[in-house]
Amino acid sequence: MSCKARLLFDSDELHYDFGPDHPLQPARLVALMDLLETSGLWQSSNKQQCLSSRPATLEELELVHTPEYIAAVQLLSQAHLAGPATEPQSKDKVGIRARQDDSRAELALKYGFADGDTPALPGMHEVSARIVGGTLVALSAVMGVPGGGSFASGDERPAHIFHPAGGLHHAWAERASGFCVYNDIAVAIAHVLRASEAKVLYIDFDAHHGDGVQRAFYDEPRVMTVSFHETGRYLFPGTGDVLELGKGVGRGYSVNVPLQPYTEDDSYIEAMEALLAPLVISFAPDVIVSQHGCDTHAWDPLTHLSLTMRGIQAQVKLTHQLADMYCDGRWVALGGGGYDLYRVVPRAWSIVWSEMSGQALPVSLPEEWVARWQPLWLGVEPQERLAQQVMGKSSIPASFPTTFMDRSQDFPAQPRRWTISSTNRHTTALVRQLLLPPSLRQAFPTLHHRSPLAGLFDLLHLQGGATPSRSRSLETEKGMLLLRDFCPPSLIERLTIDAGLRAFARLPEREHQLLLSIARRPDCALSIAHTPSGEIVGEVTLAPGDEWWEDLENVYEVGIEVSANWRGLGIAKNLLAFALDLDALEDLILYAMGLSWHWDMEGLGLQAYQYRELIARLFASQGFIEYPTTEPNVHMEPANILLARIGSRVDQRVASRFLSHLLSTPNLSGYSL
Amino acid sequence: MIVSEVMTTKLITVTPTDTLSHAANLLRQYQFHHLPVVASSDSAAWPGYMDTGRKAMPEFQGLLTSQDIDVAAAMGRWSSSEVLHRPWQERPVIEFMHRASIRVTPSMSVAAAAQLMVERGLNCLPVVEYEQVGQDQEGRMRTVLVGLLTRSDLLLVLARLMGAFEPGMELTIQLPGGDPGSLAETLVLAAQLGIQVRSITAAPQENGVPQVATLRLGTINPSPLLVRLQEANIGYTFAGSPVE
Repeated sequence: MSCKARLLFDSDELHYDFGPDHPLQPARLVALMDLLETSGLWQSSNKQQCLSSRPATLEELELVHTPEYIAAVQLLSQAHLAGPATEPQSKDKVGIRARQDDSRAELALKYGFADGDTPALPGMHEVSARIVGGTLVALSAVMGVPGGGSFASGDERPAHIFHPAGGLHHAWAERASGFCVYNDIAVAIAHVLRASEAKVLYIDFDAHHGDGVQRAFYDEPRVMTVSFHETGRYLFPGTGDVLELGKGVGRGYSVNVPLQPYTEDDSYIEAMEALLAPLVISFAPDVIVSQHGCDTHAWDPLTHLSLTMRGIQAQVKLTHQLADMYCDGRWVALGGGGYDLYRVVPRAWSIVWSEMSGQALPVSLPEEWVARWQPLWLGVEPQERLAQQVMGKSSIPASFPTTFMDRSQDFPAQPRRWTISSTNRHTTALVRQLLLPPSLRQAFPTLHHRSPLAGLFDLLHLQGGATPSRSRSLETEKGMLLLRDFCPPSLIERLTIDAGLRAFARLPEREHQLLLSIARRPDCALSIAHTPSGEIVGEVTLAPGDEWWEDLENVYEVGIEVSANWRGLGIAKNLLAFALDLDALEDLILYAMGLSWHWDMEGLGLQAYQYRELIARLFASQGFIEYPTTEPNVHMEPANILLARIGSRVDQRVASRFLSHLLSTPNLSGYSL
Repeated sequence: MIVSEVMTTKLITVTPTDTLSHAANLLRQYQFHHLPVVASSDSAAWPGYMDTGRKAMPEFQGLLTSQDIDVAAAMGRWSSSEVLHRPWQERPVIEFMHRASIRVTPSMSVAAAAQLMVERGLNCLPVVEYEQVGQDQEGRMRTVLVGLLTRSDLLLVLARLMGAFEPGMELTIQLPGGDPGSLAETLVLAAQLGIQVRSITAAPQENGVPQVATLRLGTINPSPLLVRLQEANIGYTFAGSPVE
């Protein structure tokens, strides 16, 4: 498989250089190639791993860019014809120079070169066209369309190509923007659209919104652009809202996932996993083009997403998986942003290449490489530190990495993690709702991955000491009990089950297994009451709603049981109150079902309706209200009851869908009427 | 900023004798809610379409809204027993249009027009000019429609003023005590660094003075500016995290 992956790099591409004070430095590519060679991941001498490129022609550039803009770039790209004005010049010549300067300044202003971001530089047309050519050749080679070079046989044709110099996603049709002159991605995709019937999925992982590519194909249903980026509320370029969905026939083919500043790996991966697979399936692309801008990393001086190599590796792995599974392996990966030149870029893109070429990533960075590049980083370190500080980022321990992956202790958890991830979840849910057809949403349920309880559990684990779950004692007439929430499986293993606790599983041993399996699941929460001698006498479980609730978000079922030997002591009420004392309570919809066949009516000497009343009162103490429902279990017996509590922070849409779902007729939903 | 800079000038119009079904079709086809009613003129190349940029300005008669059509349809249903009544679809616009007596002129300020719309609960204001008919002094005034100002126009203005259509990043500058000095200094620094300003907003919050100014700057790389702001002791917020 590894011979099917190639890396496209040309030393001419290193001339994409805006000067020594510019954040984007070609040295990062030099460091990357050096790292790939020294770590043995790639050899320039191995022709099976290389691909040669050519500059894009003017005709190809015009697929995306306006002729006026290209002409302006060519003009600005010429060095001043006369040398510096040291020798005396005739008045005439000075006049011509002055007029030329005027028109150059005008052109620069008109076409986006007037600001410090993308200054006009000699030779920029040539090098930009070279980079465009690289991406175009790569995509054409993967797709087997003209322009991609010729290969001895179809088997020789590479399936995956990595072009680290590409990924200039900000350039507009008629304007340079954000370090980008020509949009190599848009040109390459436009070329493939013209030459074949293919559909192209573009995934943009850069921390900045991929506005140039989105603009180029905003009305084109054969190109789906998906961009994961830091929200444009503050960050350049300011676009990339969820509601930018495309226009005309292209509506629904622009996908934007704006994430909060300080998102971090877990929340990022969650959003990515919840969306990418269903999007790929619904769109059914022939090829994936991914842009791996690594300015998402916590060390990057320009952005705030705060990922580590773990998040970046997850992007690459997932993209690779999707390309192999759904696109016959056709995948072009590109570079992009990344402004921590020596510490982040070489490692991040080595991960892209090692994943693409199917080689295991070594653990340590080669010592000779570190020795070569660490001094360069030390030279810019004070500047980097200052940039981090003025961007409002907390000071991160500054050291040069020695391993490919990051060490988690170098990245302290960001404050407000809980708020940030739930905002991101909300964004993801909105994107799902807007862009995925209902049938796909149901095929990809999100509940199990996206449980806020799992997040809360992690949060407790990270901030607490050895025992993150809470513990409280409860005095009863029969003696003291201990209440515990978020019980770890090991605790359940060490405890035993009181003989009277058997309503659900009928046998104490089976009840024990049931509790253990609940404790092991990351998306369930188990609270128990046990005696100091280790007998479990009561339990409250929180578990995501079953299939009947379909893709409703944050809907959890509460179950409660108290041992027959410990009734009438107020344990149920206390334990329920204790278990529901959660940070996330108001973000959840909780429901409880009372099913009469579980009820121990003999033991209590109660009629079914009295028992029903008892349950209703118990849950009413926690703000639960009874709702009529067509849920099949509840529906089976008139004594059965469904109680629910809708948290005050629950999205109105979700709440109303929950309420209408309560009375839906599931038998009919399978058929289209 | 005045009304003529933001109003819609390419208008779909109807004449008083057009049928309601024609009007309803137009509203459905173009997906909006207001149709200006103008006197029929023979000069228009395409009846029903006018571009006020060109000099064929018809006399303004009134407005027909989608609500008016709803009312017509509802009334038609209730009085269907009357034999004399034609179905609402065949009835002329003039029976259901209203005069739209609240109008503005192209030179009115946008702020005043916006206030008028909010106070009167209007979604749309006809923009008119008055011209004299005939040579004699006591001659009749003719009301000529030159444009339409809708709430959507105002929202577009707001987005434009906030720099939404240009790539850029957003920075909030503190103005202690409403003193614009720090804003001025920031702008000087931005100019020195060659950073384009996309928009500046500084709306009064307390005591009629703005406490912060929000800048949209056309750069992907704000750190050089932020470093200088810090050196100059100017308080700012970027990406939601305050920096002292």
